[in-house]
Amino acid sequence: MARGFKVRHVGAGRNKEPRYAARMDADERAIVAGLMLQVAELIEVPEAPSAEAPGDAFEDIVARLGMSVGPAAPGPDAEEGSRAERPGHVAESEDPAVRRLFPIANRTDPEAAAEFARLSESGLRQRKRDNLLRAAAVLDVTDTIELTPADAQAVLVALTDVRVVIGERMGLRTDEDAASLDLVAAELDEDDPRLHFVLVYDFLTWLQESLAVALLRSVPEKGTRSE
Amino acid sequence: MTASPALDEIVEADEDVVPDLPWVTIVWNDPVNLMTYVTFVFQSYFGYSRAKAEKLMMDVHVEGRAVVSHGSREEMERDAEALQGYGLWATFQKDD
Repeated sequence: MARGFKVRHVGAGRNKEPRYAARMDADERAIVAGLMLQVAELIEVPEAPSAEAPGDAFEDIVARLGMSVGPAAPGPDAEEGSRAERPGHVAESEDPAVRRLFPIANRTDPEAAAEFARLSESGLRQRKRDNLLRAAAVLDVTDTIELTPADAQAVLVALTDVRVVIGERMGLRTDEDAASLDLVAAELDEDDPRLHFVLVYDFLTWLQESLAVALLRSVPEKGTRSE
Repeated sequence: MTASPALDEIVEADEDVVPDLPWVTIVWNDPVNLMTYVTFVFQSYFGYSRAKAEKLMMDVHVEGRAVVSHGSREEMERDAEALQGYGLWATFQKDD
């Protein structure tokens, strides 16, 4: 049984530093790190969504999970994601989950949006990818996980990316969809692969919440800039 | 995971940067991001106080969107890029 993240301190006096500690068994780590690697792959090459690669159960689910939680109507991003509105956007023909990770950056000025995409998107993709790989690497070592602040933040952000992709796959469009996820799951057959994915999503949510709470404690309450 | 401002530094050297703050960065609500996470991002990226970060987070959650920063176009592009790097649904636009 996994244990969520908690802050503990190592060293003493001036050398005292926070560590973000959790416990996950090998299966749990393999699932979380595996999903991070898949998302890294998903955002790597715009023309070739890796989703079709065979042989990986999770990948298949990530790629094909056709689950609609809320009303069947496409979300706002689906409409905005049309090619016409994304001139110059690297991700224009891509997977909706990837489009959600790199949304149109200006809703009122298509030219500004296109310029932003041209200048920023490949760097953004690269950093996201590097971060996902780093997070997968630091998580999947031993049952006892102990992260430095920088690694903890990498994991925190990577968990977001994975949850965004799974959320998109599950058709989460509104807060109500997210809130009713467990109710929808309760009506699925035990061997329905979608049920498995809801459980994984819930696990990631729980894990991320524990880490976000732990990291938030380390941020000065007053903030770090004068206003 | 704040974005590298390298690209923008070149632009900032431009002489005709307008002194007022006519552009904004907006964060839109989404069903995935956790409230604690969004608060953390606003505090750690912008350096905002907990109170301000939580207020902005609640604005996003309740109103569906919130203006999270003001500045030049280059600054707002940088903020939007950084926030997208955090997985938030961030956009920038001219403040009308």
